[in-house]
Amino acid sequence: MTTEVKAAPRRPAARVRRLIRGAQLELRMLAMLGILSLGLSLISPYFFTLSNILNLMDQSVITGIVSIGQTFVILIAGIDLSVGSLTGATGIVLGLSLQTLPLPLAIAVAIIAGGLAGFVNGYIITKGRVAAFIVTLGMMSVGRSMAYVLSGANSISQLPDELGDLASATVFGIPLNFVVLVVLYAIAWYYLTFTKGGRTIYAIGSNAEAARTAGLRVEFYSILVYVISGALSAVAAVFLAARILSIDPIAATGLELDTIAAVVIGGASLFGGRGTIIGTFIGVVIMVLIRNGLNLLNVNPYWQGTAIGSIIVAAVLLERFLSAREGLARAGSEEG
Amino acid sequence: MTEAAGDTSVLALEARDVWKAFERTQALSGVAFALRRGEIHALVGANGAGKSTFSRIVSGHLAADRGDVRLFGEGVRFASARDAIRAGVTMVMQETSLAPDLSVLENIYLPEFGAPGRLSWKALAARAEALLDQFGQKGHLPLRRALRDLSASQRQMVEILKALALDAKVIIFDEPTASFSPNEVDRLFDVMRLLTQRGKSLVFVSHRLEEIFEITDRITVFREGAAVADGVPTSGMRPTELVRLMVGREIADIYARGVAGRGTASAAAAVLDVEHLAAGPRVKDVSFNVAAGEILGLAGLVGAGRSECVEAIFGLRRVERGKIRLAGAPFRPRAPIDAIRAGVAFVPEDRRRQGLVQDFTVRENLLLAHLGRRRGIGLGYDERRAEMEALLDELSLSPRILDDGILTLSGGMQQKVVLARWILMSPKLLILDEPTRGVDIGTRSTIYAMIRRLAQRGTGVLLVSSDFEEVIGVSDRIVVMSDGTDVTSIPSRLVDVEKLAMFAAPRSSAEATHFVLEELAARFGGVAYWISLEGQRLYCFDAVAAPDAPEIGFARGTFPEIAQSLIPCALERRSETFLAEPAGASVLVPLRGHRGHDLGHVGLTLPPAKALPDPSLVRRIALAGSAATTAQAVAGGR
Repeated sequence: MTTEVKAAPRRPAARVRRLIRGAQLELRMLAMLGILSLGLSLISPYFFTLSNILNLMDQSVITGIVSIGQTFVILIAGIDLSVGSLTGATGIVLGLSLQTLPLPLAIAVAIIAGGLAGFVNGYIITKGRVAAFIVTLGMMSVGRSMAYVLSGANSISQLPDELGDLASATVFGIPLNFVVLVVLYAIAWYYLTFTKGGRTIYAIGSNAEAARTAGLRVEFYSILVYVISGALSAVAAVFLAARILSIDPIAATGLELDTIAAVVIGGASLFGGRGTIIGTFIGVVIMVLIRNGLNLLNVNPYWQGTAIGSIIVAAVLLERFLSAREGLARAGSEEG
Repeated sequence: MTEAAGDTSVLALEARDVWKAFERTQALSGVAFALRRGEIHALVGANGAGKSTFSRIVSGHLAADRGDVRLFGEGVRFASARDAIRAGVTMVMQETSLAPDLSVLENIYLPEFGAPGRLSWKALAARAEALLDQFGQKGHLPLRRALRDLSASQRQMVEILKALALDAKVIIFDEPTASFSPNEVDRLFDVMRLLTQRGKSLVFVSHRLEEIFEITDRITVFREGAAVADGVPTSGMRPTELVRLMVGREIADIYARGVAGRGTASAAAAVLDVEHLAAGPRVKDVSFNVAAGEILGLAGLVGAGRSECVEAIFGLRRVERGKIRLAGAPFRPRAPIDAIRAGVAFVPEDRRRQGLVQDFTVRENLLLAHLGRRRGIGLGYDERRAEMEALLDELSLSPRILDDGILTLSGGMQQKVVLARWILMSPKLLILDEPTRGVDIGTRSTIYAMIRRLAQRGTGVLLVSSDFEEVIGVSDRIVVMSDGTDVTSIPSRLVDVEKLAMFAAPRSSAEATHFVLEELAARFGGVAYWISLEGQRLYCFDAVAAPDAPEIGFARGTFPEIAQSLIPCALERRSETFLAEPAGASVLVPLRGHRGHDLGHVGLTLPPAKALPDPSLVRRIALAGSAATTAQAVAGGR
């Protein structure tokens, strides 16, 4: 009020206000997250123990890594249903490679395999103009089938111990795999916010035609997001295999649904152009918390699916309700 | 319903003290509006004045915060558009609310799908035929075709028929003519007049002043959510006054004519040189060039292939045949980025579909082409800061809007942003496709001034527009396209709206005239032509010569002075009997449209030695085919 008179302090204040307005969605998600953890800690004394928190971190790694790729894909108004089976298939590729190759090389082979599968997805979707839903549904089936074929339908175990270090090592007491997750999110955030490629991805999702007319490389980035998604599925497979030093062809079944749920809970629009990587991170943590909470509460596993499904839809409904006023203001200003 | 249709003392629709706010903006503050029965009432105002908001409240699409709306004296408060339709109020939407995969017939009767009971397709089809017949649209709209196969103007016509099918008492037309060519506008106006004769009351929302003055009875002007002129008779209003009311200040000449540097273009080097370009079914054979610093208008009707032609030049469409040269070098872009790197900029026709990234801020929309052209990983937004701010200043936009969402701006401001995006690229060639569609008059003059300034700095400008007045007002030279070919290239100071319309008439609808010319040339063995004479100049729209025809000094698409033609006396005297000159003997037959418009002359020149036929025979042939179809094709020539 009185600060309005003074000119000097207005700018930073305005900047903060703008920042808050821009991050409103994330702040709301964060609040939801806070309420959720508070509730859980009240219900279960075990919730806020160190071992449970380490457990939560561990559980968010796989979904978290794959959700980054899923965010990229959803931002261009696509969808990647193949991430679960690609995680399974590239896990098998990793296991087989480790029988002859040293660890870093084997990891590289797995990531390249994942990237290649993603490229096939992106290429057919973009050049062949086939719906992403159909193409990745096909890849989902192919990927799982390849996992069985390559492994002979058996799990590959007794993987080298050095692989296990990826799961057990810590950095300043924090599990290495969680650190990797955070670093990947930081890179993704930087890429989406401050680079030409990142802004192009947003522009494609918002209006591909306008992006193309402005000279942006729409086709290249439309394929790239699927390559990233496929490659990250392989990265997730590495940490999945590291956890129990074994990989199974049915691993990561249903992961695509968890990642899509996390991205949507994180506020992204399935119509593209809207959503943030920070939102996705919060979405992942919420997903993990819900699962964790249901376990802590000893909810019958058969009922957990119903509970999770309902909570996802309710969370998104709540978000739509909260942002409805924002949306109305937006629609209103479009008037002639 | 027995009262005379012309009884305009009854108020069909009356609104008093209507208020409406959207979150941050007050769209309407106490607006009043009174529509008499059987009149056409213009509702005008700059973008953001509240016309659309008001129309949508009256037609039930939006609810007012408060206010009093009466329909034939009874207070109404519509909960939905269906409510309004039931009460007899419909709105013809500007952005079509049609289902592309359904047929024309289904679209027209879509509102009835919500009614209980069975639909009889047979009955619907019969009713649709009757409806088309009633409004003189028979044969113009294929009822069974899927909507997506129709042209933009045909789709708009379906939208209008949809409203007519509801038999509403009050119809609101929200910029119905945005996609119409002159003859289609004429056809719509015929329909509107027919409606008022039947006692319907019409509200006509439009940006086009000439249309408002042609069709409406009274005018209400909105400015910033309030009525600044309330039902003033159109006959008592002058265009300049209307503009002043709309924008709140005087705009002497929106085209900023008379700026130095006009018409000197031919001396400068060509920026763009197009030879025999063919691209897709709409662009068959187009040749023209644009000089540095020249503003070239590409005129023609919707469907003439102008947009497709410039899209090919910008790399949005595949070039099938022909050559393009840019600043002298061969040029064949495969994607927009090739064109952008070569120095071509393109403001597309459809701002929402091709221009704006809706989820981005004003800043990112402004810098979108910069981002596209940039090599490297980062954004490089900061490098452009100074330039950007100077440019915003030039376009009278505040730098404070940079971080706002692009959709918070009005249509006119959005268009300025799209234009500014390309100016930042300092292009060699700027292509503008319908740059002022749906843009208010105040913003238009800013855009024109900006285009001029760019041209003065040496940019070649290629302006595509269906608004003939705009093309003439803005361009130095005009190339007219018709049916995918260039018909003529003419300095804009030598041409007016009527003549452009005749040059632009598609061959398909000027067919009858062409047929007459062929008939005359073949039967009498000379040269037959369709021309317009004005002052010292003749304009030749079409000409057909028999094998041994004499030389007359002009051909299709040319516009020499009469004295330079080889038959000056016959032309000078508009001779209706054969007049012999050294080149041959000529006779002229004047043509008139069905509303008495001057449509020029059909002429016939025979070789000197030839025996002359009876001029009345020539006259009969000339008038037989041309009167009906040609008149319709170029009717109005507004």
